[in-house]
Amino acid sequence: MRVLAALSLLGLMALLALGVSGVFPRPPVPPTEDVAAEWGAENVVAAIVLGVRLWDTLFEILIYAMTMVGVKLGLRLLRWEHAVPPVRETPLLRRSADLLLGPIVVFALYIAVSGHLGPGGGFPAGAILGTALLLLALAKGVERLSAEIHEPSLEWVEYGAIVAILAVAGGLLVMGHRGSGYLIAVNVLIALEVGIGAWVVLHRFASSRGEV
Amino acid sequence: MEGLAAVALAIALAGLGFWNLVVRRNLIWKLLGLNVAASGAILFLVALAHRPGARPPIVGLGPGPSADPLPHALVLTAIVIDFATLALALVYVIFLTEHRHTQDVERLERDEERGWPQP
Repeated sequence: MRVLAALSLLGLMALLALGVSGVFPRPPVPPTEDVAAEWGAENVVAAIVLGVRLWDTLFEILIYAMTMVGVKLGLRLLRWEHAVPPVRETPLLRRSADLLLGPIVVFALYIAVSGHLGPGGGFPAGAILGTALLLLALAKGVERLSAEIHEPSLEWVEYGAIVAILAVAGGLLVMGHRGSGYLIAVNVLIALEVGIGAWVVLHRFASSRGEV
Repeated sequence: MEGLAAVALAIALAGLGFWNLVVRRNLIWKLLGLNVAASGAILFLVALAHRPGARPPIVGLGPGPSADPLPHALVLTAIVIDFATLALALVYVIFLTEHRHTQDVERLERDEERGWPQP
């Protein structure tokens, strides 16, 4: 069994190596400036993700939201008998959270807003936003932070962001609007959705086990 | 051939991940292996986007040919879906551990053949 697994693994790695060995020549990249200019972007990857392949991104967002709902409902079905012990606070973590929270959130906003001009975009911005919330949760305790930021209304913001993304994408795909403003709007909404979804996952896992 | 180190690392990561996915008996180890293999696939796609002497695919960032922007867009999808499916799979592993008190795949299959023990 192990021999079979090793043989098929070596075959897979050999296939991967054959793909890049030069047997199959890579086609030259066509000029992409026109595509980027048509969608109002300077970052060609943003023009592809939010323009040419917007359907793909829409279904990716839907899959992400559905998985977040699955995690939430799945962990809600489990009843935990033991009480969750509170995380002990340390002054070092609280001070550094005070110091770092503002720059992290501002950087996430910058990455989201300037995603069509340079490296960045909605998904990394959402990940950075989730990291900021994780830092706050480590400093304050998960349940306290969840009560302070009022999580049910935060989830309504997430669902509203999905609906708004669908509306803006309808404008881009069906009505044929183009321009940088649409890309900025979609990026900011994606950042909201991904950041809040990451926070939901962190909160559910942490409150199921009592550890962050 | 440029980018050889990235390609070699990507193939090694994919091999390591799939080896853990196939051989290990613990479900958490299997999920970790799947995640490492996905990292290898992502690095492989990024290495495929490379062209000799290429610049990043951003307009106005200097002369020279642009790197292929399409694999970069695919990688964005891959990273997000990888995170989401890993979270959901971990929830299922938590379910199994709570109800069957094991993460061993062979023991789960043995219990399946015998009929599950009544809690």
